[in-house]
Amino acid sequence: MKFLDQAPRFLFFTGKGGVGKTSIACASALELTRLNKRVLLVSTDPASNVGQVFGIRIGNQITNVAEVPNLSALEIDPQAAAQAYRDRIVGPVRGVLPDAVVKGIEEQLSGACTTEIAAFDEFTALLTDGALTQNFDHIIFDTAPTGHTIRMLQLPGAWSGFLEDGKGDASCLGPLAGLEKQRTQYKAAVDALADPLKTRLILVARAQAATLNEAARTHGELAGIGLSKQYLVINGVFPESETVHDALAQAIFDREQAVLANLPDALRDLPTDQIGLKAFNLVGLAPLRQLLAAAEPAVPTAADVPPGAPPISAPSLASLVEAIAREGHGLVMLMGKGGVGKTTLAAAVAVELATRSLPVHLTTSDPAAHLMETLDGTLEHLTVSRIDPHEVTEHYRAQVLASKGAKLDAAGRAVLEEDLRSPCTEEIAVFQAFSRVIREAGKKFVVMDTAPTGHTLLLLDATGAYHRDVARQMGSSGRHFTTPMMQLQDPRQTKVLIVTLAETTPVLEAANLQTDLRRAGIEPWAWVINNSVAAAAVTSPLLQARAHNELREIAAVATHHASRYALVPLLKDEPIGMQRLQLLSKQGA
Amino acid sequence: MKKVQVFDPALCCSSGVCGTDVDQALVTFSADVDWAQQNGLQIERFNLAQQPMAFADSAVVKGLLERSGEAALPITLVDGEVAFAGRYPTRDDLGRWLGAVASASELPAADPQAAPSGNCCSGGACC
Repeated sequence: MKFLDQAPRFLFFTGKGGVGKTSIACASALELTRLNKRVLLVSTDPASNVGQVFGIRIGNQITNVAEVPNLSALEIDPQAAAQAYRDRIVGPVRGVLPDAVVKGIEEQLSGACTTEIAAFDEFTALLTDGALTQNFDHIIFDTAPTGHTIRMLQLPGAWSGFLEDGKGDASCLGPLAGLEKQRTQYKAAVDALADPLKTRLILVARAQAATLNEAARTHGELAGIGLSKQYLVINGVFPESETVHDALAQAIFDREQAVLANLPDALRDLPTDQIGLKAFNLVGLAPLRQLLAAAEPAVPTAADVPPGAPPISAPSLASLVEAIAREGHGLVMLMGKGGVGKTTLAAAVAVELATRSLPVHLTTSDPAAHLMETLDGTLEHLTVSRIDPHEVTEHYRAQVLASKGAKLDAAGRAVLEEDLRSPCTEEIAVFQAFSRVIREAGKKFVVMDTAPTGHTLLLLDATGAYHRDVARQMGSSGRHFTTPMMQLQDPRQTKVLIVTLAETTPVLEAANLQTDLRRAGIEPWAWVINNSVAAAAVTSPLLQARAHNELREIAAVATHHASRYALVPLLKDEPIGMQRLQLLSKQGA
Repeated sequence: MKKVQVFDPALCCSSGVCGTDVDQALVTFSADVDWAQQNGLQIERFNLAQQPMAFADSAVVKGLLERSGEAALPITLVDGEVAFAGRYPTRDDLGRWLGAVASASELPAADPQAAPSGNCCSGGACC
């Protein structure tokens, strides 16, 4: 494997959720210990399953993996880190300042921002604190999904920049007390990240256009902040030998090979490895050692596969849409991690509604959206739009400068302009564009393909803050008002569909998303399991084995997580165009 | 030179210029602070959500919070004494404290300040 040749001290594995980062990071750790290196494996994923992979409990302390000499692991739990951070800030004033005031501080510190900063603090300590890590030759980071990681990595650069500009006042960079004293640590972290002799970034993707495009974006953004030494690993490549078994296997192989032949330009020249799709679950030492060792994927024979179960029968997407259509109008939001197929399913829901002669507005705020290609045509009753985050942010900045900055002198406007460059501005701007669209849901259907989860939650936070603002201003006047948040919380007006794949990590992440939504007072209406092999008829032993593995996840969704759900099978043809989208909805029972 | 200390409500960031609706009072004050500092005024801001100890350590601020709760914020101390509570100082006020550096009448006019409408982004949506 090229990405492990002359491995430097820090190895980062990054990529969308569900691409197999954890498995590859764990397998790499095993491979390096085999070469007698001392390795620390660090997970910064809120839904870390490193412990599960090795069958031990890890947690917030560096823990030796008993079965593997020279291997230790650490799971940075962002929630626990945030709690510790809150305690550090609030603890000393509890009982000193009035209780109501202390409660106000805690509320302010309970946002996503604090969580991110707290996790980031721990992460930079590992990059810079010699005492903590001096016993290790390699530190492997199994990082959180891409967007989150980018933000974490960009922060030290942004902070150092702010501080070096002599502003002395880094606005909107989060609840960070005593920024100055962290400065040295962040500077050292940035230096370590930018030094190719110290740091290597490994982009993990699947042979799918969406994850490769995301990897290309990550590549650009991280190269832009100095992380130039990058490798590409394409995981789970479908083996040609399986194509003889069935048409679906052949279609998957062809689709993947076409994508691989057409890599995004940014990735073309990176040192690249391919890892074949495995039929087995990558849990435990033996399969992990096999993951990187075997050049050719170990393909199961018919004997390895449990007795062929027929495709499982489950509700179709159309059956969900049937229930949604009865309301005559409303907001339908598709949420979930990137790469689970939200855009396709949003298009399918919109098409399904529009063919019932219901007025539908399909919209997205996902920068990576490819709605037009997915729809590939027009339909009566269906309108399509896209919220371009960059565009709306520019518009928002200009608007604030023109209104709130109207009375300022040139120097004052420069200060405001600087403040408006903070990371929150984009979130707010997208939120405002988004709330303009959802107002339409009173008369027609609005189907939203939302951006990946972290982003979405920030939007919801913004919605909540806006709601409280309006409630405070309007509350005493007795006037009638509806905020976007109230609309999102009302199940008659809004139906949230959580999209996932029938794999361990995506289901876990979807369940976490559901918890976050509930905390915001939003009860998801249904789950949609996309691209299910178990719902397709397959004879390839590899696909049958994967179908078998899916059953446990589907059962968990059906019986444990979702109040109602639908299962969408993996299709032979990519669901592009109106007819195929309709076909996709109808599949299932 | 006078020493000015401003105790902000719990803001998500040090300037408070963030959140779903940018607060005009915070925008104006942020610009005024920058202007006053450029002109040599020693001015410190403390954010309740980030540095609550500063609030607890000041007997004056702590006392105001006990009597009036968060509604007392922002609180401005000049040389340790309360100059304003419940609203931000104007550029004229800052100019007065600047004293020798420039007289207030020569300074660009600033908007009269309205009381801030509370947390700029209490959902923590800013970063």
